[in-house]
Amino acid sequence: MTKTDSILAGLTEDELDTLVSIAIRRAEILDETQSPGANDAWSEVVVYEERLAALTRPDDVPGGVARVGAVTAALAAGRRSDASRLASRYLAEEAFPSERREAIQRAFQEDQARLAQRFPALAKTGRLAELAVWRASTSTHLHVFPRAA
Amino acid sequence: MHPRLRGHPTDYARFGALALQRAGHDSPVRAGVRHGAEENTADLEWHAQDPTLLQVLDGNRITEDGAEAVALAYASSSAGWVMKRRLQRSESADWLLHNDERWLALEVSGVTTGDPWARLEDKKRQVAHCSLAAERLAVVVAFERPDILADSP
Repeated sequence: MTKTDSILAGLTEDELDTLVSIAIRRAEILDETQSPGANDAWSEVVVYEERLAALTRPDDVPGGVARVGAVTAALAAGRRSDASRLASRYLAEEAFPSERREAIQRAFQEDQARLAQRFPALAKTGRLAELAVWRASTSTHLHVFPRAA
Repeated sequence: MHPRLRGHPTDYARFGALALQRAGHDSPVRAGVRHGAEENTADLEWHAQDPTLLQVLDGNRITEDGAEAVALAYASSSAGWVMKRRLQRSESADWLLHNDERWLALEVSGVTTGDPWARLEDKKRQVAHCSLAAERLAVVVAFERPDILADSP
């Protein structure tokens, strides 16, 4: 268990609700200003959403919000492989409601649409998948390519 | 002020106060309330803030966060809704609130001047897209008069 994990494990759901609320607002503001810090801010949201997902039931409203939130925040942070990993984990939960499953599918579709808007030439020629290869090589150097995702 | 917002790093009480002061109001001020077809009033009170802050803080943030302060306080005081957490934009609502076993998705907006009714219709349409198993409410705070407009889609 990392130090971050042990700190998170000591937080209550109420405390995490407060932290995730602050983190989402900060990430949105950084996004609006096109700040390079936005990716890190969304990564912080992922940490809180994942922990909230672990503390809550998949069929509860807060549990459903946290699970979808972890996936959408990972996508917003440009961490698409993490988003896929989280989505697989949550979609495997039998009690996860169909509406929430659709919300996760929608998040991936919207992410693809965002990418297509950002890289119209690649989208037009059906080469958006190449971005995944490029991302894999740059994702370990986000300090160099903060908006690479 | 909504009880869960006390101590929140985003100083909602301050932003709410500044938005009302910027519109020329002094505490307390009586706001008109229109919730669906029902008309009412609400007295808004706040601690006076240093007006020089208006010159250094972002005007849009004052409006947005000020509206959230007023809307959350209204939802809490009028129907006992308690704030749970902020929602990401993909949920088509700003806040998740609860009241016993009930859930509410709340979408909030603020306007400084002009007709707030069109904004309320926009926000109703937006929150109608929220797919959570929750009731839905849109609130628009018009700071000029001031008015609190609320309705469900």
